[in-house]
Amino acid sequence: MVSTLLFFGFSILAVAGALGLVLLRHPMNGAMSFIITLISLAGLYALLSAKLIFAIQLIVYAGAIMSLILFIIMFLNIGEKDLPDESGRWLYFIGGAAVITPLAMFLLKVVGRLPAGDTVIVGDGFGSVKGVGTVLFQDWLLPFEVVSILLLVALVGAVVLAGKREGRA
Amino acid sequence: MIANYLSLSVILFCLGLLGVISRRNVFTVFMSIELMLNAANLMFVAVARLYESMDGHVLALMVMAVAAAEAALALAVVILLHKHKGNLDTNVFSLLRG
Repeated sequence: MVSTLLFFGFSILAVAGALGLVLLRHPMNGAMSFIITLISLAGLYALLSAKLIFAIQLIVYAGAIMSLILFIIMFLNIGEKDLPDESGRWLYFIGGAAVITPLAMFLLKVVGRLPAGDTVIVGDGFGSVKGVGTVLFQDWLLPFEVVSILLLVALVGAVVLAGKREGRA
Repeated sequence: MIANYLSLSVILFCLGLLGVISRRNVFTVFMSIELMLNAANLMFVAVARLYESMDGHVLALMVMAVAAAEAALALAVVILLHKHKGNLDTNVFSLLRG
């Protein structure tokens, strides 16, 4: 009963944050409402007894990635005159909604065909650091190493792109 | 009910898609892509709970790592484009047009 109430509270917050991201004009306001979405998604992960993902969502996503985005938005010092002219965006919203609604109906229909499991909290180390780590380092070892190479490439690429150029343009 | 979580994931994904196709501010487009990645994460975790297997958690971790790499690279590109064009409009960034 409590978990149902928590689910509806978190999902209303998540959808409201996503709507704020899509509708608000200034990216700073959008980023702030997106953080609400991320934190309520962390609460939903906790309700799904994914303890490690809950912690990592809060620390990495709402903590690190969003503070990086906020840092860049503040760094560029965006004023009202720097924003692109989006006066016709309501037309785009209506057109986009008309395109996306059939897709959403189809996906909701597909999702409704899946078996409806219950969401009681499972114990036995499901979703704990030990359980996820065991699966990660036994069955997913090669993808894990590939992800480390991906992070290295992204790091070097970001330094090359945003760093100072000396000698050439 | 797991089906509610999956429906919420679909709704969040479609909102992210709407943000990508209807907004022109590059930061909003970028964060809408992040929203779609988060919707996929919620789907992974919900299906992992449905079948009580932890592979979905591992996939969610991988998606978060890809999102972190994407954030670092995309923000570097945005800084570079803002330095060159002095603008945040995605229509201005059509550099590859032949």
